[in-house]
Amino acid sequence: MEEKPFRASLGSGGSDTSRPDNDIRNLWTRATLSQSKLNVPLPNVCEDSDLEDGSKARRDSDGGWDHGEYKDSFKQEELEDHSLLELQLRQESSLGSHLEEGDVDSKTEIEMSSSESSLNILKHTPHRAYWAEQQNRLPLPLMELMENEALEILTKALRSYRSAIGRDHFLTKQLQRSIEGLKRRRSKRLNLLAY
Amino acid sequence: MKLKQGSFLWYLYLDKLYCLLSVRNVKVLVEYFHLLDVHHNNTLNDVLFYHFLHHVTNWKRRQIMIVFNMLDWNAMGEIGFDQFYMLVCILLAQQNHLEEQFIFRHSRPVFELLDLEGELRIGAENFHMYNFLFNIKKQELKELYHDFDVTGDRRLNYKEFKLFTIFTMDKYQERQKAEKENEKRERKRKRLCSKRKRSIRL
Repeated sequence: MEEKPFRASLGSGGSDTSRPDNDIRNLWTRATLSQSKLNVPLPNVCEDSDLEDGSKARRDSDGGWDHGEYKDSFKQEELEDHSLLELQLRQESSLGSHLEEGDVDSKTEIEMSSSESSLNILKHTPHRAYWAEQQNRLPLPLMELMENEALEILTKALRSYRSAIGRDHFLTKQLQRSIEGLKRRRSKRLNLLAY
Repeated sequence: MKLKQGSFLWYLYLDKLYCLLSVRNVKVLVEYFHLLDVHHNNTLNDVLFYHFLHHVTNWKRRQIMIVFNMLDWNAMGEIGFDQFYMLVCILLAQQNHLEEQFIFRHSRPVFELLDLEGELRIGAENFHMYNFLFNIKKQELKELYHDFDVTGDRRLNYKEFKLFTIFTMDKYQERQKAEKENEKRERKRKRLCSKRKRSIRL
């Protein structure tokens, strides 16, 4: 118990800096709470955003964000949502039967209740982009915090590299490329926020 | 030692019983480590390590390099994720005042870290060099060697060190209990005072 916890292993490969950020960000920017889009089942959303086989294999081997666990809980969520939907539809149909008696007030009531029920549906049906993100990667605010901090640290380290081994050393260039990659990701994020 | 407020590590926390990170926190820490691992070796060299610690703590250069030399147990000039994880746990234990608990729960790895020469014994100088890591004061160190050096060789072997961790853990729990009782008494006293004031007004 005392020795084992510190034998954490990294898994295969180095950092996966070439992950396409576009898929999740596109989901967030295109996300609307329209009914038609909400009808797409969640497993399809997850498959769409899983473009890289390599990164998927790494996530599976790490087991940190357990796909199986999340998919099971999402399936349960879907079932609960379906049962909610059925309840609401039944309510609507029972209200609809009252309509046959020719009550105008109850008509408006039914319209209100149907809009309320659609709002309820929207509330209970999970937001696609949010759940896709939760399944596949770390939350964006956390990534932003980590990347900003890493950028500050690496920028200071670059100055030390340049003064110690010079600008033309391959290690200095490698560090510079990482910093540029982080800056590019940051500016992409800021541009998306601006839209 | 204080962690920089708002830094990434500042948001992490240890499980209070086992003094370890949760799986989610470890996953996040792996991603963070990869961001700093610019040479894709799954390691951090001394320069990157120095700038990381300089950014997130208020340690001086001398202290940072002592920690680096302690963690670089293979003398490769780089530290891997295992060592990085251990360091983060030590930092968080200090930040959250869980040093006694941490040393008690992980006495073997801590002993191996302090045993720089690999002699299976720790001298007072080793302890003194790393007291900024585990917050062991000079007086406590003196008591430690006086009370627990059973063999009398002025160094602690693992069993003597383990006894020390059990003893400090007991003291820590008694201190916690005493603090809780003080708090209860204080609350009771305040309630009585307020009741008396009310009855006087009436």
